Amino acid sequence: MTTRDRSGLAEALEACRPLPPDGPNILKALLAVQSALGHVPPSAIPQIAQALGATEAQIAGVLSYYSDLRTQSTGRHLIRVCTGESCMANQGGRVFRAIQDHVGVAAGRTTSEGRFTLEQMSCVGNCAVSPTVMIDEDLHGRVIHSDIPSLLEHYR
Amino acid sequence: MKMTRLYLSNDTSSLAAGAGRLADAWNERPEVQLIRTSSRGAFFLEPMVERDMLNGREAWFNVTPEDLPRIVGGIGGTPVTKLPFLQQQTRCTFANFGITEPLALDAYQMKGGMKGLTAAWNLSPQAIVEELHISRLRGRGGAAFPVWKKWQVAQLIEAEQKYVVANADEGDAGTYCDRMVMEGDPFRLIEGMLICARAIGATRGYIYCRYEYPAAARTMKFAIQKALEAGLLDFDDYPFDLEVVVGAGSYVCGEETALLESLEGRRGVVLAKPPYPAESGLYGKPTVVSNVLTFASIPNILAKGGAWHAALGTEGSCGTMALQLGGRVKQPGLVEVPFGLTLREVLDRFGGGMAIGSRFKAVQVGGPLGSLFPESQLDIPICYDAFANAGAILGHGGIVVYDQETDMVELARHFMAFTADESCGKCTPCRIGSVRGREILERIQSGQGTAEDLILLSDLGETMKTASLCALGGRAPYPVETAIEHFGEEFRQGAKFASRA
Repeated sequence: MTTRDRSGLAEALEACRPLPPDGPNILKALLAVQSALGHVPPSAIPQIAQALGATEAQIAGVLSYYSDLRTQSTGRHLIRVCTGESCMANQGGRVFRAIQDHVGVAAGRTTSEGRFTLEQMSCVGNCAVSPTVMIDEDLHGRVIHSDIPSLLEHYR
Repeated sequence: MKMTRLYLSNDTSSLAAGAGRLADAWNERPEVQLIRTSSRGAFFLEPMVERDMLNGREAWFNVTPEDLPRIVGGIGGTPVTKLPFLQQQTRCTFANFGITEPLALDAYQMKGGMKGLTAAWNLSPQAIVEELHISRLRGRGGAAFPVWKKWQVAQLIEAEQKYVVANADEGDAGTYCDRMVMEGDPFRLIEGMLICARAIGATRGYIYCRYEYPAAARTMKFAIQKALEAGLLDFDDYPFDLEVVVGAGSYVCGEETALLESLEGRRGVVLAKPPYPAESGLYGKPTVVSNVLTFASIPNILAKGGAWHAALGTEGSCGTMALQLGGRVKQPGLVEVPFGLTLREVLDRFGGGMAIGSRFKAVQVGGPLGSLFPESQLDIPICYDAFANAGAILGHGGIVVYDQETDMVELARHFMAFTADESCGKCTPCRIGSVRGREILERIQSGQGTAEDLILLSDLGETMKTASLCALGGRAPYPVETAIEHFGEEFRQGAKFASRA
């Protein structure tokens, strides 16, 4: 963790105080940490556990359970391709392969220059205008595999 | 200069279809005033722009920024009331869609909103539950449990703290109506939850919204703030505390006990029932957990009476269902109709047939755990009982149509891989069985499958169905088995099948 990460972590954990009477909400705390640092570094688990009065195993258990909690930082742009059934029916697989070929990394990986991280995601509820590709916060519908190069051009 | 008022949807799918591009292009134009509404749900026509004409709203479809002069000039529009896709629907829960601004509380009230809550205040808690009993409303999340029973259990238990939780973890692939409700008519969800709170005596409520729906969570937070400022969350002697909680990507968290575990901040693992959440739920207190669409159906029932609702639909499935069309149909979008139409009628009448270049192969109803139907089985009526009798589920109303391009072995593998990814790990048949199932299907896919593999898959399916606590493990075999049942030849094409023939 960088110095900046450490102060971000301390701040996020401070915001979880006071601990609720029903016990600490580990998921909420981890989402707060992720929102501050972009991810939850595994090296922060002891500090999070201490701040929440939970065991390290409890923290690690929640962290590994939820797919939207990430333990590594992403590239400058996060590309997520929907794998829902409507997207599958509408050639979403072909779109995914086109992106994979274009950026040159497999799902779950970040390109060497740190520009893109590629992921597959579960249904995002955009089924009526599928197939869907989400880049950062932008949702793109009716994506055609041949449009991929020009679409990604917008994200430098 | 005369300003033309234009209505443009701000729904996530409308934006994904290009509505944002229109807004960017037109926001600064002096001749137009843009009103950002919810979406009609006719997504195949999005981005769609509407304006007021002498005889009501007219619409322009699949609009590009260059279409502005035509629209301002009033040329080439279609009266919204003449759109067959909308005209043939019975919009009750989705009556305001495309018409109002989602966060305009006054517009919601002008359209009859909060009448259900007012009616509830004039009834005793027991009478509210009785009204729901008369309405015969069943939960819309997938389990179709009678809503009144859940409420009655929570109502009858004495507890200093009770909770109302909206299940907004709409994880079934192919469904998006909860997202639309939260983004497009958020006060309807709040009103439904307030009626429930009044009926069971709850003082706190949570909307558990999935991580993938940031716009829905944002809109709900704004709407709660507005409702708070308007005094709607003030009960007689206490305030009702309502909060949006965002999940972190777990399909199983749509199951109520896992959802409550997650709401308490733990791993979203399914718990054995009983006790049911209505008896002992969040932090051990009586908790009503219902789907967003269920809560959104309740204001109309209280405002118009349970008998009004019971008169819609079929005997065992009363009211309307929000069906969500996706996949290779010509007209994907939201369809609200009373229960009882056949699947074929829905696909023809609203889906408009197949997309260009597509031939029908199969349709899946009810999300990733739903069964596949071939052409010969499309005459099944859309209602809970007919689907249950067929060993299928309506689920949350997702309908995805596949065409001739779909590889059924790959689709079956996808379903098993989905379950393997999403299994919470509590039940061994689901945790291990889904991985073994995926492996068998991968073997078949690689041409190494044998006839024994299909028998093994079937055995595995039976074990998962009978020995899993929740619907993920219990229903996961169905899409795979129906794929094999109807498209068996695709599974038997491997080399080892051939060598034995």
